[in-house]
Amino acid sequence: MSSELIIAWIYASPVSTAIRDMFWVVPTVQSVHIIAIAVIFGAAVISDLRLAGVLATDEPMRSVIRRYFPWMRAALIVLLLSGLVMVIGEPDRVLVNTTFWLKMCLVVAVFTLAWSIRRPLLRPAARAQGDDEKPPIRALAWLSIALWCVVIFCGRWIAY
Amino acid sequence: MDIQSILQALEDTTVAAWIRESGSIFPNLESVHVIGIALVFGTIAVVDLRLLGIASHRRSALRLIQELLPYTWVAFSACVITGLLMFASNATTYAQNSVFWWKMGLLSLAGINMGIFHLGAYRRIDEWDTTLPPPSQARVAGFCSLALWACVIGLGRWIGFV
Repeated sequence: MSSELIIAWIYASPVSTAIRDMFWVVPTVQSVHIIAIAVIFGAAVISDLRLAGVLATDEPMRSVIRRYFPWMRAALIVLLLSGLVMVIGEPDRVLVNTTFWLKMCLVVAVFTLAWSIRRPLLRPAARAQGDDEKPPIRALAWLSIALWCVVIFCGRWIAY
Repeated sequence: MDIQSILQALEDTTVAAWIRESGSIFPNLESVHVIGIALVFGTIAVVDLRLLGIASHRRSALRLIQELLPYTWVAFSACVITGLLMFASNATTYAQNSVFWWKMGLLSLAGINMGIFHLGAYRRIDEWDTTLPPPSQARVAGFCSLALWACVIGLGRWIGFV
């Protein structure tokens, strides 16, 4: 099955047609998407800045990470669902766009990075000794923030 | 000088023309604007949820506000700068967009809400700093803030659709 056929099939579907016919759906879903971006980016930046030793250094790393990771996970789900609506609504514009696919790869990469830095601290048996900001963790936390920014740039550039 | 000629003059500046003529500057301004929005709303939401009684990464509301507000202000400045540049590039057109003015109006209300909180319940924060639930004034301020900022974001998106 060629990609053109898949795109045409999605485009012709009742769901896709409905999304395009109801003019308010796309801007509303985009607004939800932006709010979820704010949640994931805010939660990521605050916890990454703790990992980098910049913010809330008087609070244990473990508790800061645990406070924000559930929000990151929930926001990711909202982002994927709202993103799916936009893909289904305009498959001809989105699925042929290389920036979109670059963004998808980056989302997988950055969330995998964010999760792997946090995993040792999320485990119930996490020991207090892991609470210093070792150099690899600091650099990875800053890299994570930078990658989220690139994802946001890609997101905007899809439309161009 | 009337408003129309001021707007036209703004649109005729070198910077505005440069933004219009370059294909990449406007999308990059928008991207920085989105990063700014994400940090403004993200940090404000953490404080607002605390004002609603949902604990954050620290118990003290005062310390949380002191810790996060600098980030909120830096992010907001980025939004204002990128917003002004984007506005300038098509000043006469944006000025006629009613959704844009609704956004400015709600933004002002969000600011007024913040001001009322800082002059009111915040002055007495020692009394309720680590106790939950927070006083009703704080909860109302937190709720209004979340609602207003979410609407600002929605209207921001709608600008491009009308």
